[in-house]
Amino acid sequence: MITRADIFAIAFAILLLPSLYINLWGEAAAGDSAAILIGGEEYLRVSLTEDQTITIPGKLGDSIIEIHNNSIRFVSSPCRGKQCVHSGWLKEGGEFAACLPNRISVAVSRADMRYDTINF
Amino acid sequence: MTSVNRLPHYLPATLFISLTALLLAACSQPEPLHRTQLLTLGTLVNISIWDENEERAENAVHRVEHSLTEIHRRWHAWQESDLTQLNRDLSNGKTTVLPDDATALLKKAADLALRSEHLFNPAIGQLINLWGFHSDERLDGPPPSSADIQALIKTKPLMTDLNFNVDGINSSNPAVQLDLGGFAKGYAVDLAIAELRADGIENAIVNAGGDLRAIGRHGDRAWRIGIRHPQQAGIIASLETVGDESVFTSGNYERFFTYEDKRYHHIIDPRSGYPADQTLSVTVLHDNAATADAAATALFVAGPQHWQAIARQMGIKHVMLIDNDMKIQITRTMAERVHFEKEPEKKQTVTLIDL
Repeated sequence: MITRADIFAIAFAILLLPSLYINLWGEAAAGDSAAILIGGEEYLRVSLTEDQTITIPGKLGDSIIEIHNNSIRFVSSPCRGKQCVHSGWLKEGGEFAACLPNRISVAVSRADMRYDTINF
Repeated sequence: MTSVNRLPHYLPATLFISLTALLLAACSQPEPLHRTQLLTLGTLVNISIWDENEERAENAVHRVEHSLTEIHRRWHAWQESDLTQLNRDLSNGKTTVLPDDATALLKKAADLALRSEHLFNPAIGQLINLWGFHSDERLDGPPPSSADIQALIKTKPLMTDLNFNVDGINSSNPAVQLDLGGFAKGYAVDLAIAELRADGIENAIVNAGGDLRAIGRHGDRAWRIGIRHPQQAGIIASLETVGDESVFTSGNYERFFTYEDKRYHHIIDPRSGYPADQTLSVTVLHDNAATADAAATALFVAGPQHWQAIARQMGIKHVMLIDNDMKIQITRTMAERVHFEKEPEKKQTVTLIDL
């Protein structure tokens, strides 16, 4: 027999669903992402699950950043030393690379951060 | 069935609501983790602070940013700075009066250089400049000529040429030109941690371009550090810091240029004048960042055959060296701390070393 309390419980559960969805699924989806920063300030946050190539305007010119296979890297940058390109693919949460002359940096974050920071 | 029927009919609903409320509360509590990125020290500095007090964390980061920028301004090796002025004085035989903190920094560098048998040698600024690494951006192009390199090697600049007198510092060898790359970053990280502590921050990581010092914990667990693979994307090993520890790696993949398909990296062997070419990376764990920084450089230069003696002299116990064949030498004390993230490949060997 369905009691009034049962109806109340079911109604309450339905009302909670949007909040649970945002808290549990929303955070996870935002987690596998990379922040692209200009001058240390977040300029764009991109999902790592969607392959794409992005052009970011920096101090010297455009830096080309590629996202592929859940990883991110600098493809090219108008700097001369290319240390940012040498950094290669970044995929672990906490990994970062920077094109200092162009003042653009990239930092990976994961929903499941296995490491708090990366040594290299 | 009888016992179930005896339960109050509203109990399942009450339990459900309570558990859901608890779950929601757990989900909605953000971690008191503050992450900041700073473009300073000629690199990217990541600061992580675990602290309930957000305002305190933000204020502490601002003070650290100011201090790191000041260090960069004072100790820059090729942009006009206190160091470039000191280098001019040293080459002209002049005596320079330095602030106490600068003198202490140079004395510490000199001590570490001596203990490393000058494999960590901040006096070879001219050689670093000759290789083109006194630039934010070394272009691909030919390396310096052998004759130019040999000419500088013959001048034998050493930190022991510096004289710390009551009236200031001078050099008995005009070839001494200081370049604190391989030391200043560690010094800056130490200073940053000291400033965070002075502001009451007890749990933090300061990571300057991949080299770091961690204090305290990430809430109820230790800070977890991933060590990047020297030859491919991803992590080769990880460790958890205990209390207050620095993790510094010198690798041949950080700064380099390529000429005629040959790669020339920035860690120059002061004995030969050429990049040290036997090692991919050296990771050092030590409580002091400046010491860890100098040691990682010295052990990289010493190479797979000789690093153990230098580590002993420098008082370094936790070391992992990866040579050109991806063979890993690791001290027993370091092995106890490190977890390899992948099984070593067939060609890889891991050798335990008792220092």
